[in-house]
Amino acid sequence: MKNDKQKIEEFFYRNNEQVNNPIVKSFLSDPQNLYLVQKAILYPTDLNKKLVDESFQSHYINVRKIKYVSNLIYFFSLDFDKKRRRLQKRSLLILDKGLSEEGETTLKELIEDTRNENGLDHLIGGGLLDNIEDVQLLKSLQKLTVKQLQILEMIYVKELTIKEIAQILKTTPQNISNHHRKALNKLNHSLRKKEE
Amino acid sequence: MGNLENKNNEETLTIIENFIPKIKHCLHNTDYHEREDLEQEIKLKIIEKLATVKFQDAPSFWDFFL
Repeated sequence: MKNDKQKIEEFFYRNNEQVNNPIVKSFLSDPQNLYLVQKAILYPTDLNKKLVDESFQSHYINVRKIKYVSNLIYFFSLDFDKKRRRLQKRSLLILDKGLSEEGETTLKELIEDTRNENGLDHLIGGGLLDNIEDVQLLKSLQKLTVKQLQILEMIYVKELTIKEIAQILKTTPQNISNHHRKALNKLNHSLRKKEE
Repeated sequence: MGNLENKNNEETLTIIENFIPKIKHCLHNTDYHEREDLEQEIKLKIIEKLATVKFQDAPSFWDFFL
């Protein structure tokens, strides 16, 4: 028995370097494997060696698998993000991207509004009044001021937002809303009057 | 054959479960909108790779000691 122990210790001592190899070390840290190895050292039959080998190979493959998956996760997440960024860069519809890491400004805020002054003439010419078939409504509309007509046209014909109209007319959105409301009230009044 | 497949599935599942903390950590590599997608994609990829990649030619244990 003492002899056996010595034999094993001698074997490990002789192969100190190999035993400290990470894969061998982790393999031997499992008592089941250690037992198999000890048995093979004491009785180096083909069968005992084969048992160790089988166990070792499954351990080795397992370690490789784990390493592989670990790398896969890391690099896949990087690639995924790269791909996402590339797509985002390519598709112009996505403008929500921040320009700098901490800055609040986004790309869409930097886009120039091309509908400036020269677009305005185009907006005033015709449009709303041309599309009215109801005679009474047409007459009521003609009573409105030019500005009110302009705003109604932009809201209902051009389907612009209040904010956009405010930019075009160089005024505040609240002002546009006021004009809008007043125009509608005026129309309401004059139409009701005619009904009476 | 069915038995082997079952064993492989179980193994894959254990590997994924063991790697969940790592996956969660790597989700920070992308935008928070995309994290759920990425998590799913990673798991899919692991399943796919473990099923197709052949992990072979492990050295013999005794090669280390000669």
